[in-house]
Amino acid sequence: MTELLLQALYSGLLQGGAYALIALGLALVFGTMKIINLAHGELVLMAAYVAYAAESALGWHPLAAIVLALPATGLTAAGMHWTVSRIRADREINSLLLTFGFAVVLTNGFLMLWSADVHSTSSAWLQDALVLGPLYSMHSEALSFAISLALLAGLWWWLARSWHGRALRAVAANRDCAMLMGIAPGRTELLSFVLAGALAAFAGVALYCHGVIQPALGGALTVKAFIITVLAGLGSIPGVLAAAILLGICEALTVTLASSALQELTGMVLFLVVLFVLPNGLFGTARRRG
Amino acid sequence: MIQRRDFHRPVRRAALAAALAASCLSLAPAFAAEFLVGAELPLTGALARVGNGMHEGVHVAAEVFNKANGRHKIRLVSIDDESTPAKAIAAVEKLASQGVLAITGGYGSNNIAPAAEAANRLNLVYMTSGGVDDSLVSAGRKNFFRINNTAGYERAVLGLIGDMGAKSVSIVYSTKDATTDLALSVQKALAASGVRAEAHSFDPAITDFKPVINKIRLQDRPDVILMAGYENDYVGILRAARVLKPPVKAMVGVWSLATPKMAAEFPDLMPHVYGTALLPFPATFETADGKAFSDAYRQLYRKEADYLGQFGYVQGMLLFEAIARAFDKGTLAKGGIADELRKTDRDTLIGRVQFAANGDNPHFVHRMGQHQDKKIVIVWPKQYATGPKVYPGVPW
Repeated sequence: MTELLLQALYSGLLQGGAYALIALGLALVFGTMKIINLAHGELVLMAAYVAYAAESALGWHPLAAIVLALPATGLTAAGMHWTVSRIRADREINSLLLTFGFAVVLTNGFLMLWSADVHSTSSAWLQDALVLGPLYSMHSEALSFAISLALLAGLWWWLARSWHGRALRAVAANRDCAMLMGIAPGRTELLSFVLAGALAAFAGVALYCHGVIQPALGGALTVKAFIITVLAGLGSIPGVLAAAILLGICEALTVTLASSALQELTGMVLFLVVLFVLPNGLFGTARRRG
Repeated sequence: MIQRRDFHRPVRRAALAAALAASCLSLAPAFAAEFLVGAELPLTGALARVGNGMHEGVHVAAEVFNKANGRHKIRLVSIDDESTPAKAIAAVEKLASQGVLAITGGYGSNNIAPAAEAANRLNLVYMTSGGVDDSLVSAGRKNFFRINNTAGYERAVLGLIGDMGAKSVSIVYSTKDATTDLALSVQKALAASGVRAEAHSFDPAITDFKPVINKIRLQDRPDVILMAGYENDYVGILRAARVLKPPVKAMVGVWSLATPKMAAEFPDLMPHVYGTALLPFPATFETADGKAFSDAYRQLYRKEADYLGQFGYVQGMLLFEAIARAFDKGTLAKGGIADELRKTDRDTLIGRVQFAANGDNPHFVHRMGQHQDKKIVIVWPKQYATGPKVYPGVPW
């Protein structure tokens, strides 16, 4: 039983790292612009398909495909921002519709370009077992976790210490005041979208390395990312990691102690319980109304 | 007194009328009828891969039928049901409004049930190979027909496991209708024959199978792991098993596993894994029907057909032939298509097909194949086997 539980915790931890990587971009845009990008999962999937195309057509190692995925997702995210920034009224609701439309277009684009077949990396090393005592994982899962930690730490430092990071936080806190301080909110919001796209690129390449991709996957990724973003609390980057790991571990323990059929239910129940007890999420702060 | 000119005019008129009538009658057998047939399938969404495969097979059937049958022509109208039940119903209703004579297609018992119900209400025959759940044929739909079923898959899986002499089996299955139906049925049959069988269900959204495979490795310790799911599930389970290396004799799957596509796409995960397969790969077709199918498929799609195309072809061809027979007998408008299908008794690419009163094909028995050296070898039943089993049947 101990071995079973230890493996469940380890698998949950690694899965949580993967979730955090996927959720990071959505959390950034949600935190700065209060926009839920319903096409975020499709951005992640786009990067995964770029990695697939690089490996199958060009013979590249999938990790090397990040140099192609970054501009692809960055430009797409910039395009999304351009359309979202044109919304004049009810931005929060209308952006939901707009980004949902983007999601549908991207999903069907993937279907047209790459058909509905399932794909994953054929790199043997990425799939080989990494054994740490009684704990097992794939090399790709451990690598994805390490990348996730590095990006989270980097993003957290950037938001806290860099001028642009502070500008982003300023725009998120009060757009008009930020403008008075000489910060261009439009450009800052564009930066947050492009950065979210870049984070999605890393998430997508990691997903291709350890998981299976198909066009219909995007929606599920967006939902997972959204749950984690809300669990974390608005604007909390460390909260994203904590929420993702909590979700990953709860799911793994449910599978081990109860049934794999209840895994998704666990996520939803956790979502509801946390919101009931902590309406601002695990690390969110209460905001003054009015 | 009748003058000579007056006598000849009526005779000439009668002769002309008789000649015209004769020419009309002689033209009737040469008249080619065009039949509009609807295809409702998942061309996008989660089931797009299997829906497109079946769609290709149905198209090939129409192509081969139109070439072989000079008198009648099939025109297909396809609508994407986007892998969702609501859209499947809407697709059936739209096809009915367009005047189709019958509907073929459908994938996933969850989507087929409401679509078949809609077709039944509209008095349209619904023919499929994409739904094996038993509830589809026990709902009393007089216009529902299918060429394969859970029992056929069950017989194949149990036959292979019996041949292996396994004393214990762990079944990992998706909670979708068809996989649940099959898994629980196999578990019951194994238990009845004295084989210990543990079942572990999983949500279709699950991606990390290590916790469940670890549970099987440490607690169940089976001889065989049976997987009942779809392509993405098999990849996840096999990846997790490859990491944890449970000491099993074989990894066995059902549909969508023993295919050339899986061997090409996942060469590290497929070696020695078992799955259902109608034909070996590379396949050779001995019958005229098989050759026509293979040639037309290659011409239309520039690739080798897989099991989805084979099933799509058989379901399409049987339906088109029934429509043609019903038209020739003048019973199209009087439920003739369903009647002709019930009279069907034919050898096809998937074996003998007949339809029982509930629309099921009682003769369907699948075969088991094994991935060996990038080929698929049929290993069960013995009379169709093209090679021996390789042990251990695991990709590590």
